[in-house]
Order: sequence, then structure tokens, then C-alpha cells
Amino acid sequence: MNFAKSRLPEFIASFALFEVGSTTLFQIGAEAKQDAWLVMLVAALAGLLLLLMHLFIHRLDPKRDLYELCLTYFGKVAGMFFGSIFAAYFAYEASRNLRDLGELASYVLLNRTPIGIIILIAALVIANSVRYGAKVVFLSCLVMIPFIIVSYFVLISMIAGVGLIHFENMLPGMENGVLPVLKNVPDVIAFPFGQTVLFLVFFPMIHQQKNMRRAVLVTYGLTAIFLILVNQMNVLVLGPKLAETVTFPLLQSVQLIELVEVFERMDILFVLVLFIGLGTKLVLFYIGAVAGGSRITGTPYKKWVIPFGIAIFGMSFISPNFTHHLWVGIDVVLKWYPIIQIGLPVILMILMLVRKNKRGSDVAS
Amino acid sequence: MRRVNRNRPPHIRRKNKAEGIVDGLSEAADRPLGCSPAETVVLIQEALGSSPDIHIRKMANDTFVISYIDSLIDPQLLSELMGNLESMLEEGEEVRSTERFADSISAGSVKVASTGRDMLTGMLSGAAVVLVDGVEGARVVSISGGSRRSVEEPSSQTVIRGPKEGFTEDISTNLSLLRKRLRTPDLRFENRVIGTYTQTQVVVAYIRGIAQTSVVEEVLKRLDAIDTDSILESGYIEEFIQDRAFTPFPTILNTERPDTVAGSLLDGQVSILIDGTPFALICPVTFFKFFLSSEDYYQRYDISSFLRNIRLFSFLVAMLLPSLYIAVTTFHPEMLPTTMLISVAAQREGTPLPALLEGMLMEITFEVIREAGVRMPRVVGPAISIVGALVLGQAAVQAGLVSAVMVIIVSFTAIASFVIPTFAMSAAVRLIRFGLMFLAGTFGLYGILSGVIPLLMHLVSLQSFGVPYFLPVAPLNWSNIKDVFIRMPWPRMNKRPDFISLHNQVRQGSGPEEGQSEP
Repeated sequence: MNFAKSRLPEFIASFALFEVGSTTLFQIGAEAKQDAWLVMLVAALAGLLLLLMHLFIHRLDPKRDLYELCLTYFGKVAGMFFGSIFAAYFAYEASRNLRDLGELASYVLLNRTPIGIIILIAALVIANSVRYGAKVVFLSCLVMIPFIIVSYFVLISMIAGVGLIHFENMLPGMENGVLPVLKNVPDVIAFPFGQTVLFLVFFPMIHQQKNMRRAVLVTYGLTAIFLILVNQMNVLVLGPKLAETVTFPLLQSVQLIELVEVFERMDILFVLVLFIGLGTKLVLFYIGAVAGGSRITGTPYKKWVIPFGIAIFGMSFISPNFTHHLWVGIDVVLKWYPIIQIGLPVILMILMLVRKNKRGSDVAS
Repeated sequence: MRRVNRNRPPHIRRKNKAEGIVDGLSEAADRPLGCSPAETVVLIQEALGSSPDIHIRKMANDTFVISYIDSLIDPQLLSELMGNLESMLEEGEEVRSTERFADSISAGSVKVASTGRDMLTGMLSGAAVVLVDGVEGARVVSISGGSRRSVEEPSSQTVIRGPKEGFTEDISTNLSLLRKRLRTPDLRFENRVIGTYTQTQVVVAYIRGIAQTSVVEEVLKRLDAIDTDSILESGYIEEFIQDRAFTPFPTILNTERPDTVAGSLLDGQVSILIDGTPFALICPVTFFKFFLSSEDYYQRYDISSFLRNIRLFSFLVAMLLPSLYIAVTTFHPEMLPTTMLISVAAQREGTPLPALLEGMLMEITFEVIREAGVRMPRVVGPAISIVGALVLGQAAVQAGLVSAVMVIIVSFTAIASFVIPTFAMSAAVRLIRFGLMFLAGTFGLYGILSGVIPLLMHLVSLQSFGVPYFLPVAPLNWSNIKDVFIRMPWPRMNKRPDFISLHNQVRQGSGPEEGQSEP
């Protein structure tokens, strides 16, 4: 009867959409060639550990979100500093997604429209969604997720049914030994699996806490398997070389579908599905950043929607072109992400444990 | 809406609730009535003026004075009342002054009005006022009549199978139609009188123990907050009490079918009936309720389920089809299969306008024809269909003004919008369609998506009396979903919908084959 808090189904739906998000857009672990699935598997397992840690942090103090945790356990000044780092990180991730979305739209749908206008429209739509708050966004994810699942299902079965999959592309396994695989793993942890740190902001918003842990973990597992499948499908369809070099490998694979002369350019419809995934991720990061702004300064949520919107919109133009954007994404920021995704939460967890033990011993004495 | 009321001149606000019949009624009307009929007659004449339908009749040397408005009463009941009074004269003095007066009147229920205002209110709602010499106050005998329509088949919501009775403009008829369907002591009617000038009777109907008390209270609270001079149709009430004013989507359902209202009451919803209109309101409602017809529950469940999905599909078609066509032909022609692309391109070759303008032109033309169809006198109907079908369809294509595909698209869209059972929802779709067409014409599929997403956000954020608008889908509720996309056979719909009814009450004993699976 109480609709004030979000409930588990919609949270799970948005968690799944977030995880899928923009991941299917790119070839993950491309440098490992045909062993990309191994890279992803190892990274997904590492991501699972991270997620367990996030859930553990949440369980230590289930009422506070990420920023309140920072303010409480780091102290006021340091908490504000680290909270700002998180908010800035989320905003930056959002801006990267915004750029991805804009590039994708201009690549597939609107070749002649200036990318600035495309991004502006996306930013307006997204800011409007953020204005409604996390609860409404979660609910709308619940409405969208059946369409997404059906679309991917139809797509995968079409690719398989048309006979595009060549299993020989998997071979030879671990051509150059384990090293290239392991070398790629840290990057794949940072994107996409490490991004779950964002959900520390959202965990306290959920009403039904009982089986949340299990549901989140199961969803994570299923989406990880799904992502590995789709990622490897690119390799199987395009071959490891092409999958590595093409900008949007999945779209490339989809374009190969030709069925009874009717279903030919499926990529155009499918790109809408990608938009929804990208958009969800973008909205959630944006909300995470806005929530940070409001928590850290103690001002209302809605006040921060427009400032962060402008910042995200502006940051999406940092790179002069898409190649630079991708290079920054893979070779520059990805190396710094682990500090935020892993380092800070670990310190936070240790501080929380110390505080808890101290209080525990205080009570005991 | 509340804000508007605050700006109202204070003298109207002061006289809102049931008291004020006529603004500027003299102070004398609020004083208690005296023993002299002559004084009271003067008061009536002063207050109501000398309208020809106001009658004042005297019996037996002013022992009884009867006053009524003859356009509002039933003449048969009046003559019965006169007969009652005559036999009372024969019986003697003591009958008139005692409480036996009420018992001796068989024509209608008797109330005692102590002030002029109460008396006039009674007269204006169709009662005869009986003034007795030497007795304080006035007796108000309800003998209301006047012209009323008989119960007919509803014109706006037709069914193939199901009751053919529809509400009428007369609220007592409507209440009787409900009572006949729900013979339970728990069916409750809460009465309100709204509108300074119209004094419209508004009845809130609900079933005690099934409807949520909080919702009933909220409805009554919002009704009491209405401060207006007139209520002529349920649309007034709807706009006053709805949760959000600025939304294209209706958050209160209206129907003229008593069986729909009865079914909704049994689901725990609350209904508002308004005197003077056959359209009753139902709240709280969810988005999907607008796609249900009461017939769904009378027909076989399989075809009902199929039809429900057809309606939802039609909703999407009515909203999206023209914009999808515009987007695909303008921005993404490669999506079409080659042969189809060639034929579409060949047709579009001869047409002068871009797809967006062509679509807008045809849609607006259609809206004009549709509006003409509603407003025109019935006798000129055939003329419109000739002009609509031949001149604007066939001839426009042959003249090379629009392409034939566009005519097909617009016609199918139009037909699809008629499939939605509730008019308010199809009206919402009609408006949204134009916006989406514009977006499609400027940004293609990307534009459509950027229109649909805010729409979805808006829908999901709406509430109707505290119940989320998108209820069984978002937030997810499996037990309610049983009655949305499919309709389960009756023996399996054992529970009332969650969140709308008071508790998730059991509707019926579980069926024989259901016994094991239900907890």
C-alpha cells in the first residue's frame, strides 16, 4: 500500500538495464581477440566481489546512501571532498554516455544533423527524466525492460537462425597464453562491472530489504552471462579481427541479418533498444550525481538538476571527435577509475568496520 | 484549481455550501418561520418573484397554504397530496399540528423546514411546501417530478452482449439502477450539494468494506473543497478533483453504464454520480482500466483477452503509426524492403509536399471531418461521408495532392483510435499524435523516441487518488495483472485488485480445480 519507496521489481529492472546499458555497444576485451569471453568472465567474477562489498557496506549501515556514508565516516570535510569526487565521477560517466549516445544516433540514424543538436535533445530528455527522481525512473525501467528482453531475444535468435554464427572463430583458445587475457581484465572490471558503485546511492531507496541481496546478485549473474554471450557473439559473427576494429560491432552483426527480404536493416530498430540501455545508464549516473550535490550541500534535489545537466552537456564535448573520445575512455580514464570504484569504497568499508568494532567494544565495556 | 478559487470574490465564496440558494436572498430568509402562513407567502413571493410556474394555493380559508413550482413536481402526486390534506381537514384540528401530519401524507416524504432558506431549497428541488395556520415552520413534501428521459441504451459505450440500460440525467433513476444491481446493505451513498446557483446533487457511491476508506474520505474532501457557482456535467467535477490538472491523460474514468459502475464498486473503486448528466465518474483508476470494456467480463475469456490486446495495440498504432511512417520515409528509407521502398517512392514522386506536411494535412483534415460528423445535423450525414470518402480520399490521391499510402495510414490511425473504449483516452492520443509527428518529421526515429520517453515518464509518475496510474505493470503486481492483458476465467479471479480495494479480499470461494494451488 505504501508507494512512497521504490520496491524490488523496479529496482532490479533498472539494475539490469544499467548493467546492460552501453556495454553491448562496444567490444569488451577486444585485445584478447577470441578469448574476450574469458576476460569478461574473470572480470565479471571480480565485479561480483565488488558488488558483494557494496552490498556489505549497505548492510553495515542500511539507512544511509553513499554520500551520507562519506559524510558520516570520513568526517565532514573529507566526506565532502570524497563525496564530491564520487559526484564528479558519476557526472563524468554520464557525460561519456551522453557522447556515446549522440555519436551512435548520428552514426546510424541522423547522418546530417549536427551532433550538438542530437546531444542537446538527449540531454533535455534525460534531464526531464532526472527531474522526476529515481523512483519514477525505476518504474519506467520496469515498463521498458520487457521490450528490451524481447528485442535481444529476437535478435539473438535471428542471428543464430540465419546461420551467421561461426564457432570456429572461437579457436584457437588462449593462443598467446594467459597473459593477454589477464592484462585486459582490469580494464573490463572498470567498465562495465565496476560501475555498480553507483548503486550505493540507490540501495537505501528500496522498500523491501529482505531478499534484495539475493535478487541483486542473481540479476548481476544473469546480466553478466548475457553480456558475455552478446560480446562473444560479435566475435563469432564478425571474427576476432573485425570485431576489434569496427566501431559498433553489435550493430555490424545485426546488419548482416537478412530474412525473407523484409527484415534487412534491423540495426535501425535495434539502435532504439541500445538508446534505452544507454539512456537508463545515463539517467542513473546523472541522478547519482544530482543526489550527491544535494546531499553534500544539504540543498533540495531539484536545484541541482539543471547545473549538473549543463555540466554533463558541456563535458560531453571535451573530445573533438569520437576516436579521441574512445581513446580517452579506454587509455586514460579507465586507468584512474579503480581508485574511485574500488579504492574509496574499500577505505569506506574499513572505516565503517573500525567504527563498528569501536562502538561494539564501547558498548561492551 | 484551488488557486483559481482563492481569487473568487468573497461574497460568492461565503455562500458556497448547501445553504445559499439565491444570492442576495433577504436576511428574512434566515430567520425562523412564524405561525402565520400569510407572512410566509409574502416571503416566498419576494424571494422567487412572479414566475408563472410558481403556484400558491389556499385551502379552507387559509388553514392550509400549498406552494410549489409546477414545472418541478409530479401533478399526480400533487392531487394525491391535496386529497390527503382534505381528508385531514375532516379529521379535525389535532391532526395538523402533531407529528401525525407526516403519517397522514401518502404523497411523499415530509420534512419540516424551520427557516425560509430551507423551505425555498425544498421548493426548488421539487417539493410542495405546506403551511398550516397556527403551526410554526413549513412542511416540505417531496413530490418531485417534471420531465425526465426514460432509461435507454447508452449511446457512447455500446456492447454486443450485456445489459442495455444506461444512466439518465435523473440521479434518482441512476441510483435505483445501481441499487438494483447491488442489493447489499453495504452499498453507501454520500450526498453533497455543489454549485451556488445550480445546487447540483452529487452522490458518492461506494461499497463499505471493499472501498478504501482513505479514498472515500479523499474524494469527499476534494468535493467539499469545490467552490463554484455551477456544476452542469460530471466534467466540471472531474477537473476539480483530479490529481494533476496538466496532463493529457484522464485520471478519472467516466461511464454511462450502470453495470460498469457496479463492477467498479465491487473492485473497490468509488463512483461519483451527478444529477443532470448520464455520465458517472469512477476513481481511482489506472491507465489500463481505460482499455477495458464491461463486455470483457460477459464474453468468453479468450476472446476478451485477445480484444484487450488488440485495444492496447490500437492505442500504440493510433499514437505512433503516422509518425513512424513519416520517420521511415523521410529519414530511414533503407529500413523498408526494396520492393516496398520502390512502390512508396514511386507514389511519393508525384506528391508536392514533404511527408511531415502531407501527414499533418491529412490528419487535420480527418479531425475536421470527425468534428463535423459530431456537430452536424443528422440529416446532412450522407453528404459528409461522400465528401470525406470520395473527395478527400480518392480524389486527393488522383489529383496527386497526397500519396495513397498516406491515406491508408491516416485512415487506419483513425479507425484504431476508435477502438479505445473510453473517449477521454482516445482524445489524449489524438493530441499526442501531432506532437510525435512533428518530432518524427524533424528528427526521425530519434525524435519519436525522445517524445515517447518523456511520455512514459509522465505516465509512470501520474497518480489517481494515491494509486499509481500504471499500477499492475509499474509498480509490478502479479495478482492485478491477471485482469489487464488477459482476462482470467471468472472461477480463477478469486481476489479483488490489490491496492484499490481495502484489503486484497477474496471475491469468491476458489473453484474446484483451484483448491490446491491457492494458499
